Amino acid sequence: MSLEYRLLAFVALSFGVMFADSRFDYLDRVRYTVAYLSTPVYWVADIPARASSWIDDVFVSQRDLIEENAQLRQELLFAQRELQLLAGLASENSRLRELQEASQAVQGRVITAEIINVSNDPGSRRVLINRGAHNGVFEGQAILDAHGLMGQVVEVLPFTSWVLLITDSRHGTPVQVNRNGERAIARGSRSDAPGLELEYVPDTADIVIGDLLVSSGLGQRYPKDYPVAEVTSVYHDPGQPFALIRARPLAQMDRTRHVMLVVPDDDIIGSGVEALPAFQVPPDTGPATDPETEATQPSDAVTSPDAQGDF
Amino acid sequence: MVPRANGLWIIILTLLLAYLLAIVPFPDWAMHYRPQWVAMVLIYWIMALPYRVGIGAAWFAGFFMDILEGSLLGLNALSFALIAYITLSLHQRLRMFSALQQSGMILALVGLNMTITYWIKVATEQTDAGSLLFLLGALSSAFVWPWLFLVLRQLRRGFNVH
Repeated sequence: MSLEYRLLAFVALSFGVMFADSRFDYLDRVRYTVAYLSTPVYWVADIPARASSWIDDVFVSQRDLIEENAQLRQELLFAQRELQLLAGLASENSRLRELQEASQAVQGRVITAEIINVSNDPGSRRVLINRGAHNGVFEGQAILDAHGLMGQVVEVLPFTSWVLLITDSRHGTPVQVNRNGERAIARGSRSDAPGLELEYVPDTADIVIGDLLVSSGLGQRYPKDYPVAEVTSVYHDPGQPFALIRARPLAQMDRTRHVMLVVPDDDIIGSGVEALPAFQVPPDTGPATDPETEATQPSDAVTSPDAQGDF
Repeated sequence: MVPRANGLWIIILTLLLAYLLAIVPFPDWAMHYRPQWVAMVLIYWIMALPYRVGIGAAWFAGFFMDILEGSLLGLNALSFALIAYITLSLHQRLRMFSALQQSGMILALVGLNMTITYWIKVATEQTDAGSLLFLLGALSSAFVWPWLFLVLRQLRRGFNVH
């Protein structure tokens, strides 16, 4: 008989904990503390991946290295040439902005990180990175790889953080078409194949296959103008009020290991970084899809606060 | 005379290994086939040592699982407590079962565990209601159970855990 009572007690406790965890943030401290125990488990689970990359590094022939070196040199040359053009464009852009008295575009710094694990739940698309509260990571921080936007930090632990990818079906990214500035929300698709779907785009919107979608910065989470995805199919169903538009994310979600965390220089989020404990992250900026708030960002964001600790 | 409890570290070590296996990255196509290692190791220890490993231990093992997965706290704790209760009330019969019958029980228990967590995840909008493919994990668990059982029994006898 006592067994049933014990079961009842623990079931009640579970429901209490679940309710508290979903509605309030008392339990974040427990989660944060216990994560000191769970981090070593992840560290051990990552050993095979580290070992294989170590073996790749060690057992590589000199000829391959020379070849790779030459290729990288060439790529660097191309990149530098583009950069030279970019410098000219940037100065021209800032002159034009000054003419219009618009605020300087914010260019954030980045911290590099590595993906050390993938969520074992097939229904969600999340990854674990090897940077946490001790590295200055905060909730809502944007993650990029070399090709585009990847996602945002949803849970900060002492030495690791969970990142929700933009292909998760519960994640929406505010985007705009690079060509004409048409705005939309890109939601992770519900099918098994990772992809994005543009939601509630009117049939008349000017979006065609091959359009580049960049982040619009309207959600106040992601920096503006980072490439997000490329439109792969546009379907107009006469019976539906909205067009069905699919896009392929540019970030290499399931191939890359190295990612970057964007450190914003603006005061809105920057002020929250010095309070390192993860559960005291900056005030929730909320689902701001209000274009007005975009213009209120401080313009003197160039001086970066040194309060962000050493990375 | 009641034998002195010993070998706690071997129980903890096997659980830790199960946690490791639960989070080791799998390729995308194999995601659904991941056996539920932690649930199986728990069921074994409850079956073998029902007076030491019970509902409370299962609850805390589930709680740690929640933190490890970053899922809603209390989710795995609840389902582990439930399957611990069922295992506790059936443990004498379970010990008498043949390997095939035990695998059948594992299929049912792990399937129940996965269904409960799935329901709660859908109810709290942590995942989308989709196919029942996730139950393949219960099938693969039932498949590896006989071998896991042998290994764990060997460990228990070798280190004289009682």
